[in-house]
Amino acid sequence: MSLNKLRCQAKQSAMEIVLLLLCIILAFRAEGFFTTDNLLNVLRNVSMQGVIAFGMTMVIISGEIDLSVGSAVAFSGCLTARLVQLLSGSDIAMPMGSAIVIAIVCSLITGFAVGCLTGFIRVKFGVPTFITTLAWMTALTGAAELITNGFPLTPFPQWYNFIGGGYLFGIPFPAIIFLLCFVIIHFLMNYTSFGRSIHAVGGNAEAARLSGINVSKIKILVMGIVALLAAISGVMQSAEIMSGTATMAKGWELDIISAVIIGGTSLFGGQGKVRGTLIGVIFLGVLVNGMTLLNISEYWQHVVRGVLILAAVLINRAQPTSR
Amino acid sequence: MSSPKLETVGIHKKYPGTVAIDNISIKFEGGNVHALMGKNGAGKSTLVKILAGAVQPTSGKILINSTEVRLHSPIDAFDRGIATVYQELSLVPHLTVAENILLGRLPKRKGLGGIIIDWPQVFARAESLLNDMQVSLDVKAKATDLGVAQQQIVEIAKAMSFNPSVIMLDEPTSALAQHETENLFRLIRKLAQKDVAIIYITHRLGELQRIADTVTVLRDGKYIDTVEMKKTTPEKIAHMMFGEIIQKKRPVDIKASEKTVMEVRNLERKNSLHGINFTLREGEVLGIAGMLGSGRTELLRAIFGAEPFDDGEIILDGVSIRNLTPARMNKLGVALMPENRKEEGLVQVLSTRANMCLAGLERISTRGFTTKARERTVVNRLVEKLDIRVSDIEQAVSSLSGGNQQKVIVGNWLNTNPRIILFDEPTRGIDVKAKQQIFQIIWDLSQRKISSIFVSSELEELLEVCHRILIMKRGQIVDEVQPQNLSADDLFVLCQETNQGEKICH
Repeated sequence: MSLNKLRCQAKQSAMEIVLLLLCIILAFRAEGFFTTDNLLNVLRNVSMQGVIAFGMTMVIISGEIDLSVGSAVAFSGCLTARLVQLLSGSDIAMPMGSAIVIAIVCSLITGFAVGCLTGFIRVKFGVPTFITTLAWMTALTGAAELITNGFPLTPFPQWYNFIGGGYLFGIPFPAIIFLLCFVIIHFLMNYTSFGRSIHAVGGNAEAARLSGINVSKIKILVMGIVALLAAISGVMQSAEIMSGTATMAKGWELDIISAVIIGGTSLFGGQGKVRGTLIGVIFLGVLVNGMTLLNISEYWQHVVRGVLILAAVLINRAQPTSR
Repeated sequence: MSSPKLETVGIHKKYPGTVAIDNISIKFEGGNVHALMGKNGAGKSTLVKILAGAVQPTSGKILINSTEVRLHSPIDAFDRGIATVYQELSLVPHLTVAENILLGRLPKRKGLGGIIIDWPQVFARAESLLNDMQVSLDVKAKATDLGVAQQQIVEIAKAMSFNPSVIMLDEPTSALAQHETENLFRLIRKLAQKDVAIIYITHRLGELQRIADTVTVLRDGKYIDTVEMKKTTPEKIAHMMFGEIIQKKRPVDIKASEKTVMEVRNLERKNSLHGINFTLREGEVLGIAGMLGSGRTELLRAIFGAEPFDDGEIILDGVSIRNLTPARMNKLGVALMPENRKEEGLVQVLSTRANMCLAGLERISTRGFTTKARERTVVNRLVEKLDIRVSDIEQAVSSLSGGNQQKVIVGNWLNTNPRIILFDEPTRGIDVKAKQQIFQIIWDLSQRKISSIFVSSELEELLEVCHRILIMKRGQIVDEVQPQNLSADDLFVLCQETNQGEKICH
């Protein structure tokens, strides 16, 4: 009985165990892996994508997808940079502090609005989010290029770097945002009627509707939230590299969706855990870091990650899920 | 008369725990339209599946032209000359009529250094088949552009392309309009003239006189009788279908009050609902009887705001409700238990607990916040009260039996403190004990002044459960009856579609 329970527990936490094993192996084999600096570095590296991954978990559980998050990061980074440039420039000459605050707020609102629009198009016209966000992916990259005119914008003062590269109590600031997002979204998904409704909508939208759940509202909000998180990530990213560049965060959507899937969320909707995504994000970060430390070529890294996604999905299919 | 094309001798089919059909012996002759009648669960569909090779009988023999055969698979049955046209049409939407008819057997020719499809031959062969049946249909039209009736003709042509000696039609008129039914009957007559044995499965009494030569009635998996249509009457057939049933009565202390809780006025919806008027009283159990397609499901869905309607109003406690949505009706205390439990009632991948907290989410949580522990308390209480057999409420709801799943949906709605519950076929596919429990729940609710509207294809159930029964036909309420002075076969005859909208008898 207790052995059975143990086995059940082990199956539930398969990814945690794999992550632990990976860390142990790397601690012995990869020089410089098990140091505070390196581990904090891993945490910082995963934070920018990780913030979005939690939102993506909500989106996938609700039965949708967002392919435009990478472009949304670039767009919001460039928009912030451009607004700071305009507001602090000679024409308006606003103090740098207020210019930055206004720029960030505008970027976040724009990001959220774009996401809500995707959700609106989904529920009003029945266009799959796969298509809408594919369109956004191109359009937002183009918009970022238009804003920046193809060159990096660098209007930021040195202190702005704190948002993307600074430390608070010895922990990278983006990592704090990352963990904060985890706590908030984990709570949202498990302890609110909103989160419960997301599961129901993704599991069976018609049953949810006939139970009196406002399916449209849920879908619009979820798409808005992931886009908002992408905008937050874009601001942090622009602060880390101290510029707004149209090419930043290229291809992130695939890394992020991979992390969500490795974390055990079902692409069919209805099932998934925010905690799983946390593990998935860290797992991918550790893997990349470890392979780099072990001097494995970047080409091999791509192959390994691809195989890993497939393996993770197969493991998830094999184990009976319950919620 | 010639020897039968197809004969069953003592066919018997057992499923774990139940006997689906018991000792069925029937002869099907060429050139004869032989109807199989019986209410839901009589064993018609099991027999069809056995003759189509989809299900193996537990014992008994099947004879084709007096030779005993075993039908191992549907393809085997086709090869031996038994073709089946199922109720659910299964054409490939974006292929042409010709391709659909010859699907998997498209004529080929040599060419381009290999074997390629011989398109002229494809169309020619389809054309000649349709000509044979004396129907004109463009063989190059796409299936998706055809109406239901035309699609059905394509299905029949497909079946005929195998040159069958027996053709089975499973409820072929269920989706057809009146004049389309006439065309189909003409086609069936022509097929019969080619010495094909036609097995016609239906539960519509009105059609029998117009199409069938012979009718065999099944009841509860048993063979009742085979009679010549000329020598019988609809009343006799109805009586054969229902037998001498001892009608159960609902407890006497359950009475509806005089107070009206809901009024439906002049409800109109294009093509499905026409001038619906009725009132529902507090604590009343109101039944709606009608054949499939009579508009009963559409009516419940319209009242619940699940589907829009064009005109008319729904009045709750004297207040006309505008812009109906399921979310609003939920708040106003109206609940709907949908017809398709699996597709519309439950989120299969979620747990029993989550499924019982869908409709009442807002009430269970405080200011949007909820915890598993709180939900468990609510759910456990209902599990006990409704006697839901579940080992672990955190397990996926898909692991429960049909009856228990149905009770989960009831529980889900009880969490909203409803005042009116709309039950759409709540007893479909659940066992006798679970049915009785559902009835008991409805009666208990009635005692607590909660009204119900109960839609069921099982007429005996309506007579047992309801205070009053409305009869629907073609989107209209045509009659209202009291269960105490009615038998199931009377009610069945009342529900039948008739030619010019007249009653068959009385």
